[in-house]
Amino acid sequence: MTDRGPLTAAELAQENEALRHRLQEAEDLITAIRTGTIDALAVQAPEGPRIFTLEGADQSYRTLIEQMSEGALLLSQNGTVLYCNACLAGMVKAPLESMMGVAFHDFVPTDCQAYWEDLLAKAWRGKSKGEMPLQATNGQQRPVALALNVLVFNQTPVLAVIVTDVSEQREISAIRARVTEQNTLLERQQETLRTQAQAQQAAEQTAAETSRILEGMPHIAWTANSAGRNTYLNRRWFEYTGHNAQIDPAHSFSALIHPDDLPGAVQRWREAIESGEALEIECRIRSATGEFRWMLGRALPSRNEQGEIIQWIGAYTDIHEHKVTQARVAEAQELLRASNEQLLRINRDLDNFIYTASHDLKAPINNIEGLLAALLGELPAELVAGPAVEPLVRMMQGSVDRFKRTIEHLTEVTRLQKEHEQPQGLIELAPVVRAVMLDLVPLMEASGAQLDVDVQHCAPVPFSEKNLRSVIYNLLSNALKYRHPDRTPRVQVRCHATAEHQVLTVQDNGLGLKVAGNAKLFAMFQRFHDHVEGSGIGLYMVKRIMENAGGHVEVQSTVGVGSTFSVYFRR
Amino acid sequence: MPLPSCILLVDDDQTTNYLNRLLLKRLAVADELLVAQNGLEAMDALQARRPGPKPSEPVLVFLDVKMPVMDGFEFLQAYEHLPAANKPETVIVMLTTSLHPQDVERMQQLKIAGFLNKPLTKEKIDDVLLQHFQYVPAE
Repeated sequence: MTDRGPLTAAELAQENEALRHRLQEAEDLITAIRTGTIDALAVQAPEGPRIFTLEGADQSYRTLIEQMSEGALLLSQNGTVLYCNACLAGMVKAPLESMMGVAFHDFVPTDCQAYWEDLLAKAWRGKSKGEMPLQATNGQQRPVALALNVLVFNQTPVLAVIVTDVSEQREISAIRARVTEQNTLLERQQETLRTQAQAQQAAEQTAAETSRILEGMPHIAWTANSAGRNTYLNRRWFEYTGHNAQIDPAHSFSALIHPDDLPGAVQRWREAIESGEALEIECRIRSATGEFRWMLGRALPSRNEQGEIIQWIGAYTDIHEHKVTQARVAEAQELLRASNEQLLRINRDLDNFIYTASHDLKAPINNIEGLLAALLGELPAELVAGPAVEPLVRMMQGSVDRFKRTIEHLTEVTRLQKEHEQPQGLIELAPVVRAVMLDLVPLMEASGAQLDVDVQHCAPVPFSEKNLRSVIYNLLSNALKYRHPDRTPRVQVRCHATAEHQVLTVQDNGLGLKVAGNAKLFAMFQRFHDHVEGSGIGLYMVKRIMENAGGHVEVQSTVGVGSTFSVYFRR
Repeated sequence: MPLPSCILLVDDDQTTNYLNRLLLKRLAVADELLVAQNGLEAMDALQARRPGPKPSEPVLVFLDVKMPVMDGFEFLQAYEHLPAANKPETVIVMLTTSLHPQDVERMQQLKIAGFLNKPLTKEKIDDVLLQHFQYVPAE
């Protein structure tokens, strides 16, 4: 002031007035301090505002505020800390004495400044609440809840702020959340346990039911685990074997299976366990009486939802009678087969015999014929033609001819046997009938016979063509040969099909014959009519050919009316 | 081709041989008639003849099938293996009573002029002479 030079009176009066005003302020302040209206002063210093606290204003309130475990502070309108308690200083890790007069927003993290400004703005209009972190002087942050209120000191509004540390609350809520989570987990585990218990109960129920069913079965029933170890045997087993379940529960299957059947049974069981495929065995098991009875053993694997085998359920069925019968049948079949073979051998021998015999008889009869001719050549012609010798020569020649013919027929039969194996084809009947009819033209013309053939619609038959021709030739030539002397021979050739056969019928109006001796009719060298030239071999051949091909021949006939021959070709 | 210089009858049945010999003699179709009772005797008879100065005059052989010692089939096999210098040219006809399909099949595979069913007759001989010697007998 001394530097400003001399002052005017007006200036002096003005200065005087100002000083008087300041004195008045000072006197008012002292009064306020005396009366406890204020307890702290903020003084603007060149280095910033400074706070001067005053003792004794209201010591008890002050102590409460100082010592409460929540932060408390007063903020001026420009955000300067007018007051703060020890708790808040602790929160921001700053000495209490350094707190007064600092700007509070120094403790607000950068990213929360806007939020803080907003809270402040709201608070100045009345009050506000919020949550945000506070940043301590060492950089650490801690979450706090803030409650802001406007207070008025000596007509000057200030903001009272209560700061509550919520980091512990956060921890608690975190713990609570964890506890809730674990509770949920526990709940879930318990639920799982409950489900498992239910499943087990269901499984036990099923097992009990299975046992009850197996127990009640009239068969031996058993179960085994997936490794093949026996886990259950029903009552029937103990009844059958005579073992006592109580005394001897561990007795084994293998001890009771017949030693001859055991290796096979064990093998099959092992294979089944490995492959998981159904088991089926036949073996003899010793009964309580010591008798070994045949049993059919079957077992199926029982699987869980994952397809794993959990157990095997098996049963033994007594098939003893069946098996014994089967053995008897097999034995009978074996006998039959043996006798069949023997018959075949005999047939073969017989064929060979006929063949050899006919061959060996040919040479001497040829010689006799030759010698007879030679003898006749040596005799005088008139003697040979004479009444004493001529009939003898004729009869001798007749006998020789008959002998030769018989041998020829025998040879034919053996030839037929050899031709049995010739290849078969599907043969149409109509062309074969036509061909045979051509062969028989002379006989037909001689007899004036009428042939009525209708076989066009016939299905072809599986047969040897040569044999078919032979059959039809024999039937047609018989029909013509054994014609009735009093009427024109009429022969009908027809065919029809049955479920198993194609049937060809040849019906004539000839002599007919007694069918009573049907078997004889088809026998070798059987002749029914003396007056007709015949070998007695034709029908025998027909029968043999048909039977060799799996078919047969039938005849219906009335003496004096006619005959119907039916040949049945297997389809 | 001229008539066979020689006809050889091979059969174990003496009566058959006798009758056939009688027949051939009456027909007078060969200068020489020989008889053998089995294949072995036939081999000897043929080897004894040797090829003649006129090789175009073959020996006609009527050969039976079933004989003891060496049968017709065995004879054919043995004769085939003889060196050509040791045997005359031959026309071999087999005579048989066998019509066993197996025998017939076997005969059809043989290197022979033909086979005939017994008994031998004038007609059969004429046929053989016509077929293998182009000889037509005078009526």
